Amino acid sequence: MTHDQDDLFAPDVIADPYRYFGQLRETDPLHWNARSQLWIVTRYDDLIWLVRHHELFSSAVIGSDQRPPYPPIDPEDRGLFDEVRHFRSDQLVEQDRPHHTVMRGAVHEYFTPTAMEEWRPFVRAAVGELLDAVQPTGWMDVLQALAAPLPVRIITRMMGVPNEDREYLRELADKLLYINRGEPYRMKPLMEGIRAMIAYVEPRVATRAAHPEDDFISVLAGAEQAGIFTRHQVLVNTALLLFAGHETTMNLICNGTLALLRHPDQWAALCADPEGLARLATEECLRYDPPVKSTQRIAVADVERHGKLIKRGDRIRWFMAAANRDPRAFSDPDRFDLSRSPNPHVSFGSGIHYCLGATLARVEGQEVFRALAERFPKMRLASEDLEYQPSIQFRSLKSLPVTWT
Amino acid sequence: MDAPRITVDHTRCVGNAQCVTLAPAVFRHNEAVQSEVVDPSAAPLELILKAARFCPTSAIRVESASGAVLFPAS
Ligand code: HEM
Ligand code: SF4
Repeated sequence: MTHDQDDLFAPDVIADPYRYFGQLRETDPLHWNARSQLWIVTRYDDLIWLVRHHELFSSAVIGSDQRPPYPPIDPEDRGLFDEVRHFRSDQLVEQDRPHHTVMRGAVHEYFTPTAMEEWRPFVRAAVGELLDAVQPTGWMDVLQALAAPLPVRIITRMMGVPNEDREYLRELADKLLYINRGEPYRMKPLMEGIRAMIAYVEPRVATRAAHPEDDFISVLAGAEQAGIFTRHQVLVNTALLLFAGHETTMNLICNGTLALLRHPDQWAALCADPEGLARLATEECLRYDPPVKSTQRIAVADVERHGKLIKRGDRIRWFMAAANRDPRAFSDPDRFDLSRSPNPHVSFGSGIHYCLGATLARVEGQEVFRALAERFPKMRLASEDLEYQPSIQFRSLKSLPVTWT
Repeated sequence: MDAPRITVDHTRCVGNAQCVTLAPAVFRHNEAVQSEVVDPSAAPLELILKAARFCPTSAIRVESASGAVLFPAS
């Protein structure tokens, strides 16, 4: 490799994280990255151990991380950056026990597998509408035509947003995506998006507190009345739910479609039985090229592992992208194989913070892959020139043009 | 009433702790922070079914003493 060994943003590491982090997994499973000043965890067993020991590793990372943003931002935007951190530290995913248990308890029931299954017809119809719009043209950018709008439609509907506001919310959702971008000016659109979302949600929270309905804002408003969420936490978690379920699902759709098209035998198998294979296909897409490559913890005690000492206060990044390809956990891990079962990938994390939206994301993935296989068995890539956003956390394609004529 | 039969599929359980939080007398985490059934009769059936429904990965299966599947539905 020609780049600095520890440059997590080097173009070849962004383009292919599997080689670099796979190498670390085999040679130095608990790696100290001096440049970014953090530990890197890549083995499946270590990852499970780390995330299930929430008493040793705190999730309150963004609030306590004093490092300057990377990639760098416009210097005059430091104030905006601090504001963003202030918002994000009130997210559910940043909370530790005991508070996390109570907060999650307040919202968990809304997202149970049984409850999310009821959204399947709505998801199916939304996928159908989006594909109807592009079918006659013979091509689409999967990202713009399907992967970006679909999750926003679903989440805004869950929030109880009226149809006429959907386009506005989609604009705001697009601004929230700047959380994960590399552009130096990104704090401006991001903060604009967050502020506008909060302004949009605030009066609705008040209305729902007085007149609850069966939407997600009512659930949060109820949790505020029960003293579990502060008003600020209600606003932040509503606003950022639009983000939590957006980029992640977008990446599942794009990365999954790409994996399917790059493995013609697997694509043919799915096209032969779209309904029957959609579930297994979605799990294998999640494992093979996970939407979230890595996330963080911070040690709250000194801990020894692999003969090394993780010190209290040290930051740790755990890579599901590497753990999902660990040969100790998966046979023939670099093979994309729709028949893999069981498939205990860690793409939704594990332990107490296991993704709240996992079933919803699964339903969206299943409906998308099923519909694509049913409608466009001749689908193929329209370009091999694919680029990823320069993020250490998300595995996000910048576009994915395909054609089926 | 006879105790229900409860099983936890460890290829699915991710240690999300919904079951051990809702029905701590029935479920407990093992060393690997996965759920194990300690006493299927230690909570009302309703609560056990709630725990199964709250499991984010549908790892918990509940059958009546006579073997009828109570969760998951179909
Ligand atoms: C394929 C799509 C998705 C992936 C890969 C994904 C991934 C993840 C991961 C890895 C975590 C754990 C983070 C950690 O432990 O630090 C997480 C947590 C979370 N996710 Fe997702 N997610 C997806 C979709 C969604 C959707 C659709 C929603 C909401 C509608 C959502 C809402 C959340 C929330 C609220 C948390 C925090 C849970 C907690 O802290 O208890 N996610 N997600
Ligand atoms: S709720 Fe499900 S995932 Fe969580 S500990 Fe219980 S069985 Fe495991």
